Parts: sequence; C-alpha cells; structure tokens
Amino acid sequence: MNRTTTPSGTTGQPPAILPTGSGIWVRELCKTYAGGIEALRGVSFEVRRGEAFGLLGPNGAGKSTTIGILTTTVRPTSGKVLLAGHDVAREAIAARRVSGIVFQDSVLDGALSGRANLTLHARLWGVPKDRAKQRMAELVETMGLAEVIDRPARSYSGGQRRRLEIARAVLSEPRVLFLDEPTVGLDPAIRHELWALIQDLSARQGLTILLTTHYLDEAERLCDRIAIMHAGRIVALDSPANLLAGLGAEILEVDAAGAADALRGALRDSGLPVENALAIGSVLTIPLQDGQGDLAVRRLREAALPIRSIAVRRPTLDDVYLRHTGARLAA
Amino acid sequence: MLSQLMTLYRRRLRLLAGSPRELLVPLTTPLLFALVIAPALNDSLGSFNPKINYMTFVSVATVVLLVPLNALFTGISVFADREHGGLRELLAAPLPRWLVPLGNVLATLTITAFQVVVLMLAAVARGATLHTDAIGLLWFAVATVLLAATVAAIAEVLAFRARSQEEYVGIIPAIAIVPWFFAGSLFPIDVLPKGLAGVAKVLPSTHALALMRHGLVGGSPSGLQAIWGNHSETALAAASLAVLAGFTALLIGVAMQVFRRSALQ
Repeated sequence: MNRTTTPSGTTGQPPAILPTGSGIWVRELCKTYAGGIEALRGVSFEVRRGEAFGLLGPNGAGKSTTIGILTTTVRPTSGKVLLAGHDVAREAIAARRVSGIVFQDSVLDGALSGRANLTLHARLWGVPKDRAKQRMAELVETMGLAEVIDRPARSYSGGQRRRLEIARAVLSEPRVLFLDEPTVGLDPAIRHELWALIQDLSARQGLTILLTTHYLDEAERLCDRIAIMHAGRIVALDSPANLLAGLGAEILEVDAAGAADALRGALRDSGLPVENALAIGSVLTIPLQDGQGDLAVRRLREAALPIRSIAVRRPTLDDVYLRHTGARLAA
Repeated sequence: MLSQLMTLYRRRLRLLAGSPRELLVPLTTPLLFALVIAPALNDSLGSFNPKINYMTFVSVATVVLLVPLNALFTGISVFADREHGGLRELLAAPLPRWLVPLGNVLATLTITAFQVVVLMLAAVARGATLHTDAIGLLWFAVATVLLAATVAAIAEVLAFRARSQEEYVGIIPAIAIVPWFFAGSLFPIDVLPKGLAGVAKVLPSTHALALMRHGLVGGSPSGLQAIWGNHSETALAAASLAVLAGFTALLIGVAMQVFRRSALQ
C-alpha cells in the first residue's frame, strides 16, 4: 500500500515514513557550479502526490538547476532528494523510471516521425509493446496529433511539437511529471490550449507535477502551490490564493515622480498604512485593505502632488514577488 | 538493458542512414582513390613490390581512409544531439548512461561494415587482387572494427568538446586524412624520413592498415616488417593487434569519461 506523509522538513532528514507513493521531497539542496557560481543555497520543499507545484522565478533564480537535480542531470553539491520514494543520488535509474519530463527547449528527433519519437520513448522506458500501442493511440487522440503523427517531427508547428513532447513525457505513465517552462515562446492561444491539456492529464492520471515558469498566469492556472525562487533560495511558498491574500485586497500603484516622501506623508495623514510601501524606481506600490483604494486616490488628488499616474488594482503574483525580492518578475 | 541498447542503436542508425545519400556520400573519396587514382598510379608508375600490384596496395589502404571519415561524420549526429537537445531525452531515460555512447559506436560499426564491403567489392571488380582466406578475412575484420571503434571514440570526445559544428568539421581532415598519408597508404613507411617514420609507427591507422594488408594480401607488402623489423609475420600481426586494441581501449575509456562528465553537470 502506498502511504504518503508530510515530512517535518525541519531536521534535514527523510521522514520516518518515506513518501513512497509519489511526490517529491527536497531538503537543503545546494549546488555550486565550477567557478564558484552558487545556483542553489539550501532549497527545501515537498510536493504531495497528485499536487501541481510551481517553481516561479526569473532566469538565474535556480529553477532549472533544481529541475536538473530532480531529473538526475545535475549533481547536487549537498542536500537530499526523494522522487516517488527514490533517492535520486543512489537510485537514479529508478527515479528516472517514474519520471516524465518536458524540456524547456524542444528535444524531439526532427528527422523521425512523431510516432517514431513516441515509440523510442516507450522502448527506453520499458513500456510493454501492447500497452505502448494503446497509450500512443490514446495520447495521439487526446493531443490532437492524429493527422501529423506519421510526419517527420521537424515539420510540426511549435504547438504540435509541444503537444507531442507532452504526450511523450506521459506515455510511460510516470508518477512525477516535470514541465520546464512548457509554454515559453508559444503564442497565447496555444498556451491556453496546452494548459487545458496539462490540467486534463493531471486530473485523469493523478500526476504529481513540478512546473517551472516565469509566466504568472501559467503558475496561477496550473499550480496548487507555488514556490517563489530568488537567487538560489525559496523566498515564499504557498497556494496562489494565500500568497495573494497576504498582500491585502487592493494595490495602490502610484508613479510619484520624485515626490515619494510627500506622497507617503499624505497617505499617512489619512490613516492609510504606508509602512509596507515598496518603491521600484519612481513607482510606489502600497498594499491596502478592501475599499481603502478609493480613499487613497481622493486624498492624493486633494494633496495636489506631482503624480504621473495612479491606479488601484487587484494584487498579482508579481506583487508577491516584489515583496519578497524587491525586483519585478515579469518585465 | 539489451533491449534499451538495441533501441539506442536503431535510433542512431535511423538518424545516420535515413537516406541512401547519407550512406553513400562518405564512400565517394575512398571510391575515387580505389577506382580511379590507384589504377592510374599503377599504370603510370608500376609497382614497387613484385608481390603486389600498386592498385591492390592502394585499394586496401582506402579502407583506412573510409573508416575514420565515416566514424567522424557520424559524430556530427552526436554533436547535433548535444546541441539540439536529443541527448537530454536520452539522459533522462531509465538506463545506464554508458549505453548511449555504446549505441552510437555500434551504429557507426554497422554503417562502416556496409561501406567497407561496398568499397572492397568495387576495388576487386576494378582489378584489385586479394590473396586471402577465412583467417585473413578475420584479421581484416578485426582491424577494421578496432580502427572504427577507435575513431568513433575520438568522434564522441570531439562531439562533447567542440564548441561548434564548424569547429568539429574543421578537425575531421586532421584526424581522418593526415594520418592516412603517414600510415603507409600510398608508399611503405620505411621510405619516409626517419622522424616521420617514427611518428607513423605509433599511429593506430598504420597498425590497422598493416593488419588489413596482412589479412587480405599477406607477406612483405603488409608493412608489418616496416613497423617492427624482421620477425614472424603472425607475431608481428599480433603485436600490431595489441597496439591497436590498446588504442581502442584507451580512447573508449576517455570517451566514456568525457561523456560522463559532460552529461552530468
């Protein structure tokens, strides 16, 4: 019987009952590349069975190194990783057997047909022939690839290639699916289409998903929980709703044109909370409670400050990221 | 594991020999030497050794041109895997990683075997005279396989070390063609200046060619005595075989090491 537990996460040791059913367990993961570049500085998290978990952060945050270690192509400097109960350092082949991965860049054999690419994967992952045939038929149908499956993969559009790569990654019925920036470079319509496919697969197969992305909407749409990474560390980890709720109901965003101190003073005098104001260049973002936004706008207009723009909006994950890192996630 | 190795082998074979053009283009230069240049030199210069005509002498040597050229061209496919991502799918697969380069080498050997057979049949049809038997063919086959495996290992190393495909392609003449001229392909190595003859004696292609000629022609034209001096032909062949096998083992070991380091950051 598969049993899952939530590791304590405080001792750096695997939990007494290992999460053998599925899921990912990462403790104090560090990676320093040759030349002294510290890519990871003590990353710890757990992904429960069937959960979709996102690693969110800009380039250089450590997402790809984390996924590289989890897929056994990067050797950690220290730390421990269990993948569906398998220690990736000591049981690398077993860990790879229960994993599927969609790489950031397309890694299809372009000269081979889509079907040949799927067959190759099935054989390498040891899927029995009859099961592979059945799975391929199902996935080709699900992914809408029936018309192109016997054409060379190099002739596929970007969206078709991605769908084929997702089909390939789940062909062997992995317990853990890694999606490394799966929709980067694709147009919005195809991104939405792929999100629907991933959600459908996840729901039907009970997959544990680890997704890396720097698209906020992608993380919000696909992930049950999100870890925000910055400079090799996790700086926030919770569900998207909880992360957003932590910021309050509204965000006041003001381009104060060099009058930040006067602006803060005007808001403070009105009894509005300015202690959490964050300045990026000349723009101040201030988290507010529901209804305070209208009051703030009125007060600032009355104060006749040299304001270039002012807006009240709902908080986004970009604001969450700003709070934790002092930098903007999406340009 | 055998099933996974065969899958890797078949993949590489399909990528390397997806069309007749990919199989036949590496044959062009060796065929030109065997069918046009060697007979022309034979007619215009005659032979330097009464036991072999010059055309046969050069025709066998064209194998030592073909094998490295082919092995190095197949390395371009490995380079493309590294550059365009195919390698990452293989590294993510649940198999021992050393199977990946082994599958590549097996595919190279298969294509090489086909091309060598075509080349030798064409040379014989054009007038090359071979004096061989089953044992002789075995010597020839073993030498060909070891040379192909040696150069395939070099190709793997280059595929993981070259910074660009242009750099990789630029290295091919230095590894495939230059040693061919020093290996005793067009003339016996003992007519080379002493220093160059010394260099020729340590090249794997020199030992491979001597073994091939030992297998297909036999006697003094083989070049074994030019390498080792006057001893029993079989003993000399065994010595050259040991040298060639040593090169093969060494370079395969290096290739495995480079692959491991490059594959796992």
